[in-house]
Amino acid sequence: MGLTLAIRDLRVTGPTGRVLLSVDALDLPEGSLVGVRGPSGAGKSTLLYALGGLLPATGAVRWGDTDILALGEEARTAFRAANVGMIFQDFLLFEELGSADNAALAAMFAPRDRRSATRDAAVANLRHLGLEPGKRPVASFSGGERQRVGVARALAANAPVMLADEPTASLHREAADALINDLVALTRDQGRTLIAVSHDLHLLERMDRVLWVEDGVLRTEAADAA
Amino acid sequence: MLRDLWDGLPVLAQDVAILLALLAPLLLIGGFLLRGFAPWPLVRAVLWRFRWANGMFVALIAISVGMGIGLIAQERGLRQGTAAAADKFDLVVSAPGSEMTMMLATVFLQPSDVPLLGGQAYNTVANHPNVDVAAPLAFGDSYDGAPVIGTTADFARHLSDDRIEGRMWQSAFEAIAGAAAPVGIGQTFTPAHGMGDEAEENAHELVEFTVVATMPRTGTPWDRAILVPVEAVWEVHGLANGHAPEAGDQLGPPFDAAYFPGTPSIIVRAEALWANYALRSEFTRQNEMMAFFPGTVLANLYRVMGDVRQVMSIMSVVTQVLVAASVLLGLFILTRLFRRQVAMLRALGAPRRFVLSVVWSYAASLLLAGTLAGIAVGVGATAAISTVVTQRTDILVNASLGWGEIHLAAAFLAATSLLSVLPALATLRQPVVEGLRA
Repeated sequence: MGLTLAIRDLRVTGPTGRVLLSVDALDLPEGSLVGVRGPSGAGKSTLLYALGGLLPATGAVRWGDTDILALGEEARTAFRAANVGMIFQDFLLFEELGSADNAALAAMFAPRDRRSATRDAAVANLRHLGLEPGKRPVASFSGGERQRVGVARALAANAPVMLADEPTASLHREAADALINDLVALTRDQGRTLIAVSHDLHLLERMDRVLWVEDGVLRTEAADAA
Repeated sequence: MLRDLWDGLPVLAQDVAILLALLAPLLLIGGFLLRGFAPWPLVRAVLWRFRWANGMFVALIAISVGMGIGLIAQERGLRQGTAAAADKFDLVVSAPGSEMTMMLATVFLQPSDVPLLGGQAYNTVANHPNVDVAAPLAFGDSYDGAPVIGTTADFARHLSDDRIEGRMWQSAFEAIAGAAAPVGIGQTFTPAHGMGDEAEENAHELVEFTVVATMPRTGTPWDRAILVPVEAVWEVHGLANGHAPEAGDQLGPPFDAAYFPGTPSIIVRAEALWANYALRSEFTRQNEMMAFFPGTVLANLYRVMGDVRQVMSIMSVVTQVLVAASVLLGLFILTRLFRRQVAMLRALGAPRRFVLSVVWSYAASLLLAGTLAGIAVGVGATAAISTVVTQRTDILVNASLGWGEIHLAAAFLAATSLLSVLPALATLRQPVVEGLRA
């Protein structure tokens, strides 16, 4: 169910005209689990945001048959809603809401006929991740629990692509390892495509492939990472 | 055509139609933004997150809306109350002078030094064929802060709509107390000379009145008054009592002009309402006497007050606009605080309209809560002020919520909720990635 990714001549330019990121060509088969590493400020997050269509860029970023850079802003948004689940370093949950409402956030703006499916998927994902879906505000949750809510939210729309930005950086080792297991299992089981920016070697070693970004340039050889 | 249709509608239907028209923009924009979305959990979360700031906003809005409503309702209540107080005083005849001064003296019992009408003038009025009741008034004495007023039995009946409890006075030193007077049936009192702080307690110490009746509440300053036969007031002050010595203990008209000490004003009730206009022109005689309708004098006063009311309405609208502006500014600042969440919603694929619907519903909830609370504040303040005014002046002020106030509140709500689209739009201007990195 994952999507293939094909990047051609991707250029992301900053406000001063400096090139923040350039990717000449990258092809990933569907269902790939790909890690992205590199020094801080090298452009890893920029790559992730560009893959989600969140930044103005030139070139082509094709998910399956769709070149997301060719779409207008609202069309990109709709594409994300249907195809991309995002996981953030500091979770970005609504602290006042419970795990169920957070995980089913997409149901609030989904078409009426898909709302209950999204809610059911959110509940199922939470259970699968060992969390009881409930109304208790997530403000009282531990970091590991919160990130699992974040993962359940990313999965709830049943998106074929997962983009994760340092998903384990805010967690202690034990919670991070548990999350890595869950994340890898959930993406692999469903054949999703996962792209995860991370410094965490435990995470990177579970990926099919690791990309290296330095000074805004993507190196596709995993060997360079060593 | 449309004009005729509108004028043909019942007043209630017109008021409801205006209310709906005022609320229409609110409903339209709400319907447009919210269609197909279910943002309530997020709206509730934001309301809860900023609950202290939100409470302040609601309180500010409530106070400004309440002030506006209270002002209008109070002013109208006061106008209706004073107009009702003048109901019993169709036509007043007095010595030439200020109609306003005489109106205040007779209707609102705020006497000042005024020239008196003599016995000739009184008899001219009293003997006119179209005059049913012509009551002289004698002001100046008081008991325990309540004015003691000399008049005739006919006027006491007229004032109380003939619903006196007890019996009419039968001798000069019997009295009828108003509903709010400090004495009841069977009690006796000695009036002081003058009113208020200047009253001389012992001036009439040999005199004692017995209360033989009370009057029902009228909602006018006359409720505090104690009515006594006018003859008694004159006698107590060492004047002739209006009747020749041969008349003995006669109370009430006719009075003998030669023994008539004078009255500041005569309350006239005509045989029929239409006669009042003729009587007014007939009794208006240069250098001799003047006749006026207290209702007309009040209407002139309201015209002046109307200008003041407009100024005050504008001031209250300006206040509301300022409060609305500061609330919107506060919303601008608050929305900066959840720009990360907004960016996250966009990153997860939430359409612009959904983000707008969340921020706008949040703002509109505050405005709606503030407006509803403002109506409550307005009603409460109005009731409290009315009670104080009624206690202080004995003018029954029944200020209640009218359609004008509801329309004002609805207009405020509609205008501000339209404007609150602006902070919502402002949150969308932030680039998503900057928001995520903030």
